[in-house]
Amino acid sequence: MIPIEYFLALSGILFVIGALGVLTKKNAIVVLMSVEVMLNAANINFVAFSAFYGSLNGAIFALVSIAIAAAEVAVGLAIIMNLYKTRDTISLNKINLLRW
Amino acid sequence: MAFAEYAWLIPIFPLIAFVVIGFLGNRLFKKWEGGAPVAILMTAISLVLALAVAFEALTTGDGTPFVQSLEWLVVQSGEFNFTFNMGIYIDNLSALMLIVVAFISTLVVIYSLGYMHEEGEKKRRYYAVISLFISVMLGLVLASNFLQMFIFWELVGLCSYLLIGFWNTRPSAASAAKKAFLVTRIGDIMFMIGLFVFFIGFQGNLDYTHIFNNVDAFVGGDALLTFGTLMIFGGAIGKSAQFPLHDWLPDAMEGPTTVSALIHAATMVKAGVYLVARSYPVMVETPDTMLFIAFIGGFTALFAATMALNNTNIKRVLAYSTVSQLGYMFLALGAGGYIYYYHADFNVGYAAGTFHLMNHAFFKALLFLSAGAVIHAAHTEDMRLMGGLSKKLKITSLVMLIGCISIAGIPPFSGFWSKDLVLEAAFEGIQYNGLFILLYAFGLITAFLTAFYMFRLWFLTFAGKPRDQHTYDHAHEAPKVMWVPLAILAVLAFGSGFAFLMGFESVLVPGLEGFVPHEASAVDLLVAVFTNILTYASILAAVLGIGLAYLVYYKGTINPAVFTATPARKAMSNVLLARYGFTKAYDWFGLKVIYGISKVVDFIDRRIIDGLINGISAGLIRAGGFLRRGQTGFVQSYAAVIVAGVSLIVILLFYVGGVI
Repeated sequence: MIPIEYFLALSGILFVIGALGVLTKKNAIVVLMSVEVMLNAANINFVAFSAFYGSLNGAIFALVSIAIAAAEVAVGLAIIMNLYKTRDTISLNKINLLRW
Repeated sequence: MAFAEYAWLIPIFPLIAFVVIGFLGNRLFKKWEGGAPVAILMTAISLVLALAVAFEALTTGDGTPFVQSLEWLVVQSGEFNFTFNMGIYIDNLSALMLIVVAFISTLVVIYSLGYMHEEGEKKRRYYAVISLFISVMLGLVLASNFLQMFIFWELVGLCSYLLIGFWNTRPSAASAAKKAFLVTRIGDIMFMIGLFVFFIGFQGNLDYTHIFNNVDAFVGGDALLTFGTLMIFGGAIGKSAQFPLHDWLPDAMEGPTTVSALIHAATMVKAGVYLVARSYPVMVETPDTMLFIAFIGGFTALFAATMALNNTNIKRVLAYSTVSQLGYMFLALGAGGYIYYYHADFNVGYAAGTFHLMNHAFFKALLFLSAGAVIHAAHTEDMRLMGGLSKKLKITSLVMLIGCISIAGIPPFSGFWSKDLVLEAAFEGIQYNGLFILLYAFGLITAFLTAFYMFRLWFLTFAGKPRDQHTYDHAHEAPKVMWVPLAILAVLAFGSGFAFLMGFESVLVPGLEGFVPHEASAVDLLVAVFTNILTYASILAAVLGIGLAYLVYYKGTINPAVFTATPARKAMSNVLLARYGFTKAYDWFGLKVIYGISKVVDFIDRRIIDGLINGISAGLIRAGGFLRRGQTGFVQSYAAVIVAGVSLIVILLFYVGGVI
């Protein structure tokens, strides 16, 4: 059996990759993808601990999380589509609406 | 005490008139003379009730006052408990005041029907405020404790402000109203300090009954009591326009003449005399205060009389004469109290003061309302433009002559009896303090001056040839609604002095120990008056005054120009016209001293206090402007902050919290 530390290390690495992607990428779709990477890092954690403790709770949480992630992508892509329609760009450094 | 039970209704009726006229709108009263019928009806009802109450009190009372009161404000805070009451207090003095106030007020309101006829829509305000004025003055007279009196005292001041400034579009009237309000306010503050002293000294009970029966129980010693009574008298100085707060009264002539009549005869200025007479049982314990009252009274009598000598405004002459006559009243009251302190027996001072108050009310109301009729006819207040008006204004000239004779003090007119008593009281004081020689002399000179300037007024107005043909041609006799009240007042100005022969002295007593008047028949009193050499001195003074006025202003034997012939006399005359510079001094004091202090206060308020507040808020706004630059609007920078923050929390938990 693979020790849990490996799973956690993988999850940590994926999370940091995702976070860096969110913070640095200019393309909104890439940022959305990076968010998914972070979510999946969390899912790996859930599943790993589920197996580690021999309980199914974590696995079920992971399934719920995947379902929510699918919905989130749908909403996120719709936002990006509309953004592109109105502003002709999906580059995040050109979009600064969330300001005073 | 059948009627006294209902005495509280007396001030209520004019108050109803005030509410009805004041709040029910112009449209209703436009056809009704601005609500005059309501005001007349209500004051007449309270007059009937006041006469009934007063008659009952004066005839059936056994000297103990009728008191009825409700608890108004109860304070219980452990060791310091007190209760303020609201109630009525009826004794002979309030009965006398009730008659005077209610009677003259009713006549003045009726007279206003003619005098104020041409005022248009403003009439409604006039009748509303004058009803309130009458109401609060009646309330003041009936009050059962000093606090209640003070409340009405302030309301009287408010009403006088509103009425003096009735023609509020005239700058002089507006400033006269302000002056009256502010100058009397100085007195009011002294009155309030006096009340604080009484409040402490009499352990939180300001009821007349409590204070008058427990004067000895005053806590704090004689010096404090003297201070308290002096301050109470300070209130009277302001309200009754005594030296040095006399200056507002001549300016108060800017109001309608009816208001002047009311202020001078019945309300307002009489409140001060009433206050001193009312607090007599306390005042007599402090001879220093009494001497001060007598001195201020005597001095003011002479001082004000001199200013009336060469004034050419008919109303101002009367105003100075009011100040002067009020001085007489204070002289009598002060002298009586001073004598009583050293010799606790009957003396005429108290009766003289209150008697003169009553007589003065009648003849001064008469004089003012007659002057109002003259002004109504001639459309000017300047006596230099009058002259010869007796041919046109027969009734007015006759009743005014009665008023002049009365105030000059020719027997048997009313002014003679009371002025004689005043001078007698001052003369009696000589045995106890040499200062009264001076005050008696002041009184006697004033009697001479009074007779002179009143007859100067009469001759200038009514006698001789018309000096201004235009004024003369347009003059006309007053309407009936004006001369009937004048006729009634003329009868009283002639006859109210006979109350003396009916035993005024023995009815109106201040309720002091040992103060028991001798019962004397009318004949005894007459004999006593006319066998006294002093009587002839005062009559002589009056006759000389009238004679001089006759020679100068009627016969022309002496040319009036001699009074200003030499530079010295001219200068003296100008000083009198400038009111001894008091007006200027007040203006200087107000403009330079008070305004200077105000400017300093204004600077502190604007620059320092406001500056501090404004500085803080300006700093905060600037800091906000700086901080908002952090809000770039880029999602990723916000996310970076969140990540950094979460990381920081994790690191802290790890190293500092020791969680992991």
